[in-house]
Amino acid sequence: MSIALNVITGFLGSGKTTLLKRLLQGETLGDTALLINEFGDVGIDHLLVEEVAPDTILLPSGCVCCSIRGELRDALTDLLQRRARGEVPAFRRILLETTGLADPAPILATINNDPHLRGRVHIGLVVTVVDASHAALQERLHPEWMAQVAAADRLLISKTDLADEDALRTLQLRLHSINPAPVLTTDSIQSGDQLLLGDGLHSSDPAQEVARWQLMGVRSTPARHGEAQVCCLTFERPLDWVAFGVWLSMLLRCHGERILRVKGLLNVNNSHAPVVIHGVQHCLHAPVHLPQWPGDDHRSRLVFIVRGLDTALLRRSFEVFSERLALAPREALA
Amino acid sequence: MCGLCGLLGEDVHWSDPLGDELPRRRERLRRIAAINKVVAPFRLKVEDFQGVSYLLLGATGKQELASGLDQLWQRAEQLIGRPLDPLDERLLDHLEQHP
Repeated sequence: MSIALNVITGFLGSGKTTLLKRLLQGETLGDTALLINEFGDVGIDHLLVEEVAPDTILLPSGCVCCSIRGELRDALTDLLQRRARGEVPAFRRILLETTGLADPAPILATINNDPHLRGRVHIGLVVTVVDASHAALQERLHPEWMAQVAAADRLLISKTDLADEDALRTLQLRLHSINPAPVLTTDSIQSGDQLLLGDGLHSSDPAQEVARWQLMGVRSTPARHGEAQVCCLTFERPLDWVAFGVWLSMLLRCHGERILRVKGLLNVNNSHAPVVIHGVQHCLHAPVHLPQWPGDDHRSRLVFIVRGLDTALLRRSFEVFSERLALAPREALA
Repeated sequence: MCGLCGLLGEDVHWSDPLGDELPRRRERLRRIAAINKVVAPFRLKVEDFQGVSYLLLGATGKQELASGLDQLWQRAEQLIGRPLDPLDERLLDHLEQHP
């Protein structure tokens, strides 16, 4: 059976380790394997976490964004082998803490593309911790901040005591305008909360997770130079899955770095139930079928979080490809 | 393997057919027909290769084999020497004029 891998990310000093430390004190994390990264030789994270859980596994020193791709795969394979041999307890999920400078996309790509890991591990939730006191500055100075926020399935605001109420409200609105994922504060997380450690779209009820995305409530935002922008596309008629696959794979190949996130609820030809897709940058997860439509609106809906991409052109491209590439089954054989 | 067509199949990709209404070989031909509409203005042609790979044919006789959609776009870029951009307005104009 495939094991969920949840990713906890957040910019340097946002409070990821503090959160994990608190989570580890609860009993709900007893059957979790924790993968953390030592950053450089200082190893502060290592010192903070090592004493808290007996089955903690440390990756060799090195920055997650430059070296995790190979090492993460090795570490996960090793961990799964040890689990199979009974050398470590049969954990139910894996928690991976990234370093503060990591872009989550390569981590997700490693899990999705590695033939040995693909069937054994799947991505659960991506949780991003946002430092309330430094968010505005980090957004302005560090592009990784936006990539982490856009990739999140859950957003957790930390250090709320260091920011005043107005600043906190502004930050919440800002986060909501970028990524309509549920926003919580780290104070409200006391133990291994299911909202935080759930299985996302792989849970027994994927419709609940899709409802949290609030796709119907998302509105496109205007372009501002250098900033992330939300773009909603809707399509009245059922989509041709072949044409859609050709369009999106081509788009992600060419503009993957600029597409920070994509989520969609699609009405596909010959399918009475909606198909859910979601991905981060180049990496798109396998589509999930929902048992039924969440409401009366059966239009296909795609939400992109993009940076530096002409959204009017994106809209036109989607419409042209959907209409012109859709083929009758017989046409292909002509 | 598909028992009907005897195809080993490609690598797993998110864009694989959602259902099994059509035989896999026919689904694959549908996809190749759609790809050919997109690559035609770049004077490229794509053919099926043994049901597992794509054979890309350039206008000057150059050929490339690609496994999976991601590699197909990558090889096509190498053949034409520039990105195959779905946001390219000339490509969109072409698709609109040649349904």
